[in-house]
Amino acid sequence: MPDLLKKKNLDILEKEFGTINKLSEQIISGDIRTLSRCITLSESSREDHQIFARAVLGKILPKTGNSLRIGISGPPGVGKSTFIETLGLYLLKKNKKIAVLAVDPSSAKSGGSILGDKTRMEKLSQSEKVFIRPSPAGTTLGGVGRHTREALLLCEAAGYDTIFVETVGVGQSESAVSNIIDIFYLLISPGGGDELQGIKRGIVELADLIIINKADGSLKKDAENIARDYSSAVKLLRPRFNNWVTKVLTCSALENTGIDKIWNSTEEFFQKFNKEREILNYRKDQYRKWLREEIIQNLNKQIYSSTKINGLIEFYENKVLVGDILPSDAAYEIVNNFLKK
Amino acid sequence: MSGISKKLFEEWRELARKELKGKSLDNHFWNTPEEIKVMPLYTEEDLSALSEQKESLPGLEPFLRGPRATMYTNKPWTIRQYAGFSTAEESNEFYKKCLENGQTGLSVAFDLATHRGYDSDHPRVLGDVGKAGVAIDTVEDMKILFNEIPLDKMSVSMTMNGAVLPVLAGYIVAAEEQGVAQQNLSGTIQNDILKEFMVRNTYIYPPGQSMRIVSDIIAYTSKNMPLYNSISISGYHMQEAGATLTQELAYTLADGIEYVRAALSAGLEIDEFAPRLSFFFCTGMNFFMEVAKLRAARFIWAKLMKQFNPKDSRSLSLRTHCQTSGVSLTSQDPHNNIIRTAYEALAAVLGGTQSLHTNAFDEALALPSKLSSRIARNTQLILSEETGVTNVIDPLAGSYYVESLTKQVIDKTLSLIEEVEEMGGMTKAVSEGFTKMRIEESAAKKQARVDKGEEVIVGVNKYVNSNLNDKIELLEVDNEKVIKEQIKKLSKIKKERNNQKVAVSIDQLRKGANGKGNLLELSIEAIRARATVGEVSAAIEDIFSRHKAVSKSITGVYGAAFSEDKMYSETQKKVNEFANREGRQPRILVAKLGQDGHDRGAKIIATAFADIGFDVDVGPLFATPEETSKQAIENDVHVVGISSQAAGHKTLVPELIKSLKKNGGEKVIVVVGGIVPPGDIDDLKNSGVSAIFGPGTPIIDSANQVIDILLDKN
Repeated sequence: MPDLLKKKNLDILEKEFGTINKLSEQIISGDIRTLSRCITLSESSREDHQIFARAVLGKILPKTGNSLRIGISGPPGVGKSTFIETLGLYLLKKNKKIAVLAVDPSSAKSGGSILGDKTRMEKLSQSEKVFIRPSPAGTTLGGVGRHTREALLLCEAAGYDTIFVETVGVGQSESAVSNIIDIFYLLISPGGGDELQGIKRGIVELADLIIINKADGSLKKDAENIARDYSSAVKLLRPRFNNWVTKVLTCSALENTGIDKIWNSTEEFFQKFNKEREILNYRKDQYRKWLREEIIQNLNKQIYSSTKINGLIEFYENKVLVGDILPSDAAYEIVNNFLKK
Repeated sequence: MSGISKKLFEEWRELARKELKGKSLDNHFWNTPEEIKVMPLYTEEDLSALSEQKESLPGLEPFLRGPRATMYTNKPWTIRQYAGFSTAEESNEFYKKCLENGQTGLSVAFDLATHRGYDSDHPRVLGDVGKAGVAIDTVEDMKILFNEIPLDKMSVSMTMNGAVLPVLAGYIVAAEEQGVAQQNLSGTIQNDILKEFMVRNTYIYPPGQSMRIVSDIIAYTSKNMPLYNSISISGYHMQEAGATLTQELAYTLADGIEYVRAALSAGLEIDEFAPRLSFFFCTGMNFFMEVAKLRAARFIWAKLMKQFNPKDSRSLSLRTHCQTSGVSLTSQDPHNNIIRTAYEALAAVLGGTQSLHTNAFDEALALPSKLSSRIARNTQLILSEETGVTNVIDPLAGSYYVESLTKQVIDKTLSLIEEVEEMGGMTKAVSEGFTKMRIEESAAKKQARVDKGEEVIVGVNKYVNSNLNDKIELLEVDNEKVIKEQIKKLSKIKKERNNQKVAVSIDQLRKGANGKGNLLELSIEAIRARATVGEVSAAIEDIFSRHKAVSKSITGVYGAAFSEDKMYSETQKKVNEFANREGRQPRILVAKLGQDGHDRGAKIIATAFADIGFDVDVGPLFATPEETSKQAIENDVHVVGISSQAAGHKTLVPELIKSLKKNGGEKVIVVVGGIVPPGDIDDLKNSGVSAIFGPGTPIIDSANQVIDILLDKN
């Protein structure tokens, strides 16, 4: 992989960040500074950074694959961070090493964003055995999947055995994330009866556990009601796995109730799949998808960075707009032309 | 129209148009931040619909013109200066001197460790002990604090909300051991926890449990301490945090209603406690609006309290303390602050306040010195005794402008209160962070107005005097010495007390928190047995848990105001240049260290920097230097920005830099913003701080400097 970089570029990068060998060793030894550095490099919009990060990833790949990969999503305000804090503190008592990767939305206008996760996972973030990294989603959605996957692999190599990937729950990033994780939690809050409509059906289909949070105080009854609604609704959905029926559970992250049930179900999930080796097959499927996605992204980038093709696109666009040619025929011509080069 | 004929008015309009050289008069309307449209001229016609205001008299319902019939003509307002110096000994000496020099009431400032219920030897509070007020660990400290001050004669106000139970208990026991019975104690405890969740953040327990404490205190004092004000419902910190005047008023009164409901549901009768509720407002530079605000406050409170059917008319009357605005003070050209404070004091007095604190001019630089405290006190003495303002009650009543403005403030405020009520009341609105967001939005807008020069601050964004060289003597606190002294006292008491008795009382307290006992009564028992502030707080925390703030941030408000600003777009350009070079946006961690919960500055910085194009990590409140450094490294930030309002920086920032270096973050740039005394600047820079931004630095300037440092460095 590093041969994609010119020797001179590689030298500069190795001088700035350390050699690829050194970096991978340090990650494997659990050095947090190096881990966070390499995540930055993989998230970078600079191509040389990305290639360099991938070179490190290539080295640490044999050390990956040993964690429980858990996706968490839900609408804004449902209490995802509080939930992770409570569940995380519970898991610390079970001697787990936890990483949390949170994808935050960016404001596209200026490129900046506010990443406030640690204010919400205050106690968890203080632990030596916890690594929390919020990342801006960036302006391209395609980035979410790739960046998060690479960060996840880096965390695994650094020895984190339970990894949470948190997304906002507006739809697009969830399906990308579902290609990275093993089990998917969907968090829902009990307020209001039309919640079922508020969450896109597609996301509900991805869920292995549907968790009704905030089952406390005056909302406790509502939580139980909505849990019942979901229990009957999921029966109509096609499950993600043949031998796992989506479970609906209630909890209160605030009052720390129902957390053990959630973890028991999670362990049950993994036991089942480890026994039947389905997790491995599932992860292989994810890699197949990853490969195909990368092919498309690569092609995409190459096509649009060619000035010749861009000229051609402009040429055909005009023809399309005046009705001289169908868009599909125009696309065929353009792609053919690109392949001929 | 009885006074001015239509013809005459048109004549005036014509004349005005001429003077404006043909421009419309409409351009001379002033849209205030409260969204009140102030006209250039008011006439008798504007009064015609205001019969309720016109027919009002002082001391009578609805108390628009004052809570008492005679107001200052009989007795001027109480000059009550808020102060506290590191140790009980120093504070006591200072109080005694103030009383000799004409001050008429005491107001105790506690350090942040005490506020948050920690003893001085707790590892989380090392930077905060003795910094922004007096450190109190046990009743022995309390006794020293009030040594030779007769508590049966002197009314004492205590600003305490988080650790109210051990502190109020400490005051009661100290008085008891001085020989003063509870029923003779007069004064006020702030005990206003709801606003802590919106601004200031010196809470300990979650909102629901905190409300239980409030009603326990109201219940206990209304039975045993009839002269004592059990709560001071405060808007002060809201305005300081950036709230508009109508937001300050609305949320404060809505808080008040919430406390009334809590007390009623605890089984009290309305007239048992309502007459002892008192308020606390901020008086800023918007002169007439401030006068109108206090008048409106009394009017609305009387209306709102009617719903509880009190028989005693005192239950309808709002009495208030006022303090001049702290954020209106500037570190640049600080002597200007004396003048600002004087105008603000005048507004509070014309609005009819019952007591007043005037700020010291050096408070934007450090904690007040002896000289600045004296000038602040004298500002009130001169106002009270030289100007003649005390001779007439509510002298601005009947002014076309002030009465109209009062009416508009009333209407605006009522609609804001209604919004909160519709959400299900203040505890709910606060738990959901609704009001906090509203205030933060106003704060971001205000900052944008100031940074753009639309709101003038002399010496800051206009008439800037760059070669000032005034020498100002500032107060320095030797924090390590205070900690040592406090720890010595603590270990002595822990050795001498009956530990068995302490354990029993603490256990009782836990049981009470779990069940029904009155928590103040149980705290008094524990404090009497020499339990510490930290022990009492921790016992209750065991049952109630410690509150964690839900922090929400807004974006877009600051940036929207700058869409066409040149400096703004230049800074954005630099940010983009950096992002292209580095492969990502510049990333900054905005952090607060120690127990200082004033997060207005941090919040505004976060939202403005995000608008400009930074990726902003927001650190949790009350972090230690090690925690902040861990976060900076995990998030791989380029910059850590520390916001400091309470003098903890001198200890905490160097610790942070040390910790960053130890963990491989030696390249992370550290900048500090907030109240940094000039004398600390060199020390901070020597410890590795790259830039320091004092109060009044436009955010865009600080962003510009930060990005320059980053571009330069890499």
